[in-house]
Amino acid sequence: MSLWVDKYRPRSLDELHYHPELSSRLRSLSASGDFPHILFYGPSGAGKKTRIMATLRELYGPGVEKLRIDQRVFVTPSNRKLDVNVVQSNYHIELTPSDVGMYDRVVIQDILKEIAQTQQVDLNAKQRFKVVIINEADALTRDAQAALRRTMEKYMNNMRLILCANSTSKIIAPIRSRCLLVRVAAPTDDEMTKVLQHVAKKERFALPTSATKSILATSQGNLRKALLVFEAMKMQKPDLTGDLEVAKPDWETYCSKIADSILQEQSAQKLLDVRGKIYELLSHCIPPTVVLKTISERIVDKVDDALKPQIIHWAAYYELRMRMGSKKIFHLEAFIAKVMTIYKQFNMIGYTDDYE
Amino acid sequence: MASSTPKKASKKADSEEYSPKKSQEKKKVVKKDEKPAGKDIRGFGFQQPASSSSKTANGTGKKPITIDDSDEEEGTVGKKPVPKGTTSKHFLSASSSKKPITIDSSDSDSPVPPPSSKKKAPTPKSKAMPSASNSSKRKVLVDSEEEDEEVDDVKPAKKRQSVGGGLSRSGGKKPSYVDESESDSDSEEEEKPNKGASKAKSKAKKEKSVSPMNVDDESESDEDNFIDDDDDDMPKKGKSKAKPKAAPKKATPAKKPAPAAKAAKKEIDEEQEVKEEVKKPAPNNNWRAAAAARAAGPKNPGSKEIPEAEPDCLAGLTFVFTGEMESLGRDEAVELVKRYSGKVTTAPSGKTSFVVVGENAGAAKLAKIKEKRIPTLSEDQFFEFIRGRKGGQLDEKQLKAKAAEEKKIEQQALEMEKREKEEEKERKRKEKALQGTGIAAKKIAPPSSQLWTTKYAPTNLKEICGNKTVVERLGIWLQDWQKNYKSGFKKPGKDGTGIYRAILISGPPGIGKTTSAHLMAKEAGYNPIELNASDARSKKLVENATNIDNTSLDGFFQGGGIQSTSVADVRVDSRTCLIMDEVDGMSAGDRGGVGALNTLIKKTRIPMILICNDRSSTKMKPLMSTTFNMTFRRPSPAEIRSRIMSILYKEKLKIPANVVDELVKGTNSDIRQVLNMLSTFKLSKDQMDFDEGKELIKINEKNTIMTPFTITDKLTGPYAFSKTSKETLSDRMELYFHDFSFVPLFIQEHYLKTQPALTNTLNGGEQNLKHLELVSKAADSISDGDLIDRMIHGSEQHWSLLPFHAVQSTVKPSSLIYGPGRQTGGGGFGSWGPSFPQWLGQNSKQGKLQRQLTDIQIRMRLRVSGGRTEIREQYMPLLANKVIMPLVKRGSDAVDETIEYMDEYYLGKDDWDALVELGVDTMSESLISKKIPTATKSAFTRQYNKADHPIAFHKGDMFAASKKKIADQGPAPDNEDVFEEDEPVPDEPSDKGEADGDGDGDDEVNDVSKDKLIKAVKPKGAAAKGKAKGKK
Repeated sequence: MSLWVDKYRPRSLDELHYHPELSSRLRSLSASGDFPHILFYGPSGAGKKTRIMATLRELYGPGVEKLRIDQRVFVTPSNRKLDVNVVQSNYHIELTPSDVGMYDRVVIQDILKEIAQTQQVDLNAKQRFKVVIINEADALTRDAQAALRRTMEKYMNNMRLILCANSTSKIIAPIRSRCLLVRVAAPTDDEMTKVLQHVAKKERFALPTSATKSILATSQGNLRKALLVFEAMKMQKPDLTGDLEVAKPDWETYCSKIADSILQEQSAQKLLDVRGKIYELLSHCIPPTVVLKTISERIVDKVDDALKPQIIHWAAYYELRMRMGSKKIFHLEAFIAKVMTIYKQFNMIGYTDDYE
Repeated sequence: MASSTPKKASKKADSEEYSPKKSQEKKKVVKKDEKPAGKDIRGFGFQQPASSSSKTANGTGKKPITIDDSDEEEGTVGKKPVPKGTTSKHFLSASSSKKPITIDSSDSDSPVPPPSSKKKAPTPKSKAMPSASNSSKRKVLVDSEEEDEEVDDVKPAKKRQSVGGGLSRSGGKKPSYVDESESDSDSEEEEKPNKGASKAKSKAKKEKSVSPMNVDDESESDEDNFIDDDDDDMPKKGKSKAKPKAAPKKATPAKKPAPAAKAAKKEIDEEQEVKEEVKKPAPNNNWRAAAAARAAGPKNPGSKEIPEAEPDCLAGLTFVFTGEMESLGRDEAVELVKRYSGKVTTAPSGKTSFVVVGENAGAAKLAKIKEKRIPTLSEDQFFEFIRGRKGGQLDEKQLKAKAAEEKKIEQQALEMEKREKEEEKERKRKEKALQGTGIAAKKIAPPSSQLWTTKYAPTNLKEICGNKTVVERLGIWLQDWQKNYKSGFKKPGKDGTGIYRAILISGPPGIGKTTSAHLMAKEAGYNPIELNASDARSKKLVENATNIDNTSLDGFFQGGGIQSTSVADVRVDSRTCLIMDEVDGMSAGDRGGVGALNTLIKKTRIPMILICNDRSSTKMKPLMSTTFNMTFRRPSPAEIRSRIMSILYKEKLKIPANVVDELVKGTNSDIRQVLNMLSTFKLSKDQMDFDEGKELIKINEKNTIMTPFTITDKLTGPYAFSKTSKETLSDRMELYFHDFSFVPLFIQEHYLKTQPALTNTLNGGEQNLKHLELVSKAADSISDGDLIDRMIHGSEQHWSLLPFHAVQSTVKPSSLIYGPGRQTGGGGFGSWGPSFPQWLGQNSKQGKLQRQLTDIQIRMRLRVSGGRTEIREQYMPLLANKVIMPLVKRGSDAVDETIEYMDEYYLGKDDWDALVELGVDTMSESLISKKIPTATKSAFTRQYNKADHPIAFHKGDMFAASKKKIADQGPAPDNEDVFEEDEPVPDEPSDKGEADGDGDGDDEVNDVSKDKLIKAVKPKGAAAKGKAKGKK
C-alpha cells in the first residue's frame, strides 16, 4: 500500500537505475575498507539518500535497514529544551540538525561527540566504524559546521560522516576538503523514463509516451516528484490517455493566484492583500524561496519581454537578501512592491528605469 | 499713487519720524481714490479723525472688534475678546485687505517703477502661488510693523483698526487665507480691467463672484493694482535689490488707510452677498490652495520671528490650529498660545475665538469654521495678533472671575495659615504638658519643617483636588458600612456599593488616592490602619495579623474576639478601617497575599479600602468580584490650579497661573510631584516664568515608555515628516528605542496602510504610481533593516548597529510613507490606526505547523527518504489525495482505506489533523473540514481508536505523561512484574503499548529491547504489535 516512490525504491547499489559509474565507485569504496567521509550533493529528488542507504547496505549488510527512531532531548545553554529526532540502526545514525534551527551546534557537539567517542559495539559488524549521516548539511549554521571540523579528524577511527546537501556552496571549505565530494546529478529524461517504465511494469500496466512526457515536463528532473505525480495521475485517470492535466499541488496554484493578482492590480492595498496570502503560504511551511521562485516564474511567463530580465534580476536580488536576513516576508514584500512598481511604470510610461 | 512712489522712497531714507506723516498722506490719497468709487463712506470717516475713530466705532453701537485690527497691525488696540459671530469674522477680511495696502505703500516707496511691476505682476501670479505672494506680503508687513509700532504710529493705527473691525463686522464672510489664495485666479483676471480703477466694475464682479475671498482680492486689486504687483516684486525683486528693509517700514503707515477703504468696500458687497459667499464650495478651494502651496516651494521652518508679547495677552482666548503652518510646528504654536495664557483646543466650536488656518487644512474643519463663523487667522496674522495684544486684556466677566479666583486663593491661603498656627499652638501645648511629666514625648515636627506634601495635605473633603464625586461616594460607603454589615451586605443601596465589604481604588500615582482614603475614613469616624508595600503581606501574615475574624489561639489569649487583634500596633475594633495600600505591589515576597486578602475581604467585619495603581493587572483579578471598583482619574489642571496657587501664595512664591498649568500638565497631574518640584524650586528662587517652568518640567520629566501603537502613530502621522515638523533624526530614533524589538514590526505592519503625504501633490494614476514607488522604497529599507537585524541578533551580535537599524527599519520607511491612515478594508478591529503586527502571530503559527510537519516527516521517515520540505511540497499533495480526499468524496466508506494508508506511514490521528491543517488554497483546513461531514469524522475517529496502530516511535513527552500517570495511580499497579524491579518504573504501569515507547525512551540503556520492539512493529499491522505488548 505504500506509495510507488517508496515501494519501488532500490535497496542496493545494484538495483539503482542510473549513474552506474557512481554506483560502481561507491561499491569499490565500501569494499576497500578505507571508507572516507563523503559529501553527497545534488538536487532534490536525484537519489542521494537512496544511494546513501544502498551504500550503507553495501557496507554493513541488510542490518542497516532495521531503522528505529528516537527522540532525544537537549538542553541548550539558555536552558531551552530541544527535541531532536534521530533515526538509527545498529550501525549508523542519521540526524537532521537543521530541525532545531540556530541550536544545531548543540546537537552536533552533543550527539556527534557522544557517538564518535564510543566504538562499534557489535563485534560482528563488518566495519570497525559507525556512520553518521547528516541531512540538510547545507542548512547547518557556520558554528555547527565549525564544530564538525575537528570531530571529523579526531574520531576518524570510530566514525565516518556522510553529509547530504543540495549544494556545496554553503558548506565551509574546511569540511569540503575533508570529504570526498560525490555529486548525484538529477537523472536525465531517458533515465527517468526508464524508471517510470520500470514502475509501470511492476504495477502491470502500460505507460503511454504522452503521459511520460507530461510527467517529465512537470517534474523537471526530480524523480521523486515524477513518481508522485505519476501515481497521482494514475489515480485520476487510470487509463493515462487523452488530455493529461497534471494536478498541481495546492501551494503552487496558490502562488499562481498571487502572481495573477499582482499583475491584475498594483497598489498598496493589493500589496496588503498579497501580504496576507504570503503569510498563509509561509505559515503552512512552504519555504520562502520556493514562494519567491514560483511567483516570479509565473510573473515572468505573463509579462512583456522587456520586463522579464528585470523581474528575474529582482527575484535574484531579494532571494539573496532573504537568505541573509531573518524575517523572510520583509524581503518577499519588498520584491513584490518592486515588481508592482516596475510593472505599473511600464504600463503607464512604457519603459522602466534600469535596475538601480 | 503710482506717481507718489518715488517721493516716498526718498523720504524713506530719512528717519522714521516721517512715517506718521507719510501714513497720513497715504491715507488721504487712498480716501480720494476710493470715494469716487462710491464705497462705504463710513469707513473713511472713521479713519480720518485719528482720535475719534475708535470712539465712533464703539459709539455707533457696534461691538468693539478691536481684536481684528490688532492682529494685522499694531494690535495694541482693543483687547476685548472678539464677539462671536459675524463680527469677528469680518476682521479677517479686513485684515486681508489691509495687507495689500501695506505693500502698496512699500512699493510706492520702493524704487521699482510701478509700470514695470504691473506688467510683471500678472504673470507671476497666474503661474502661481497665491499663497507665496501672500506670505511674502505678510512678512513684509511683519517687519515693518514691529518697528513702526514702537515709534509713533500707535494711535492712528489703533483707530484704523477699530474702524476696520467695525466696518467689517456686518459682512458675513469667511476669510481664511486659503480662500484667498484660491480665489487669486479670479482676481487676476479682474485685475487687469481694474487697473483703470474702475471700482464699479469690481463691485459688479464681486457681486457675481461667489467667494468672499474673491471679494477681498478684488478690492485689493481695485485699490492698488500695482500693489499686487509689488507684492510679487517685493519678495522677488525688491528684496533682491537690497532695498528690503526700508521699504517695509514705511509701508506700514501707508497701509492703514487702505485697509479701511477696502473694508468699507467689502462691507457693502458682503452685506449683499453674504449668503452666496457662504455657499461657496469649499473642497475646490482647498485643492487649489494645496496646489498653490506646493508651487510655493519649500516652506521655511523657523523663518519667521516668533513674536514676543506681554504676558497673559491671550488670556481668555481659545485657539484652534488646523493645517500646516509655514514656519511654526503645531507643538510650538500651541506652546506659544499657552505661554501667553491662551487656550488651545483641537476642534473648532462656538467657544473658539480664532482658528489659525495653515495649508492643507482639513475640509471638514473649514466647513465647521464657516458654519460657526469663527474668525480665522493666517500664521502671520496670528503672529501679528500676538505681537499687538496687550497683557491682561480681559472683559469684565473674566476680570471678575479672575478676581474671584484670586480672592479664593487668598482665602484658602489664610485658612491654611490659620490652621497651621493652631497646630503649632497645639503642638506647643502638648510639648509643654509633657515636659513636666518626664514622658519622652514624640516630637511632632513643626509645620515649617514638614514637607509640603504633608504640610498641605488636604484636611477636609473640600480640599481634595478632583475626583470629588468618587471621594464622596467613598465617604457614603464608609458611613453606611456598619448598616450594611448588619443587613449582611444584601442591599445594594443607591449607588450599588452596599453589597461590598471592600473598595478597590485604582488610579495613577500622585493624585491623592491614599490621602483621600485616610481622610474619608477619618471623616466617617473610623480609625484607619494602613498596610502598604513596606509591610510584609504574605498569605500567612495577612491571615494572622489581620485576623479580625479571630479563631487562632494567639488572638484568643490576647483578649478574645475582634477587639483583641492588633495590626501595625493599632488595636482593631469595629471602628477601625483597614487601608491596604499598593495592593498591586504584593509580589514575590508576599506569596498568596492577594488570595488571602480576598478571603479576608469576604468575611471582614471592618471596612477595607484597597488601593492599587493598575486595576487590570492579573494579580488584581481575584479582587474584581469581591470589591467595588472605584477609579480615580487624574484631576485636570483647572482642578488643581487654585489649590496650588493658594499654596504658592502662602509660600510667597510667585508663579503665574499658566505656568502652574504647564507644570501640572507636564507631570500628568501628579500633585505630589508638582509640590515637591515647587518646594525645591523655592529654595533658589521666588518666582518662576514660563521658560523656567518648562525647564523644571523637563528636568523632572518622568520617562514614560510609549506603547508601540502611539509610537507608530507618531512616526507615520499625517504631518510626521512635514517641513514644519521640528523633530530631529535623533528624536525619531529615540522613539524607536522605546521598544526596539516591536517598533520595527509595527512599522512594517503599518507602512502599507497610509496614504502618503508625499503623494498629495498628484492625483489619479500618477498618485498611485508615486505611492507604489514610495512603498517599494520603504519596503527596501525595511528589507535592509532586516539584514541589519540579522547582524545584531545573529551570531555576530553587532549591537552597535542598533541605531542604524533604527534608521533603516523605522525612520526611513516612515519618512517615505507618513500620511493619514487609509481605511484598509475589512472594517472592525485595526482598520484604523496601527494594528498589532501579524508577523508575530504568523511566525508562531509557522513554528507550530513546522513542528507538526517535522513530526509527520519523522514518522514517515521509516518509509520515505525525503526531508521536511519534500514532504510538504511533493508528498503532501498526493498523500492528501490518499488520506483526506477519500473522506471528502466517499465519506465513511473510505475510512478503512484511509486508516490503512496512515498505518503504512505510521501516521496517527494527530498527524492526520496536521495534514489537514497544512493545506492551503483549495486544500485549506477551513474548506476541507467543512467538506467532511461530521458523521464521517466521528466514524473516522471511532474507527481509528478502535484498532491498534503501528507507531514509529514514542515521543519524549508521551513518556513524561505516562510517568505522571503512574504517580497518580499510586500503589495500584503492583505485583506480577516483580522481576522487573530494576527497570525504571514507567515501563510497567502504562501497559497499553506505551510500554514500547517507554523502552524507546531510555534506549541508551537497553538497546536490545528496543530493537526487538521495532522489529515487532515493522512486520506490520496492529495485531503483531498488540501481541508484543501483551507479552510484556
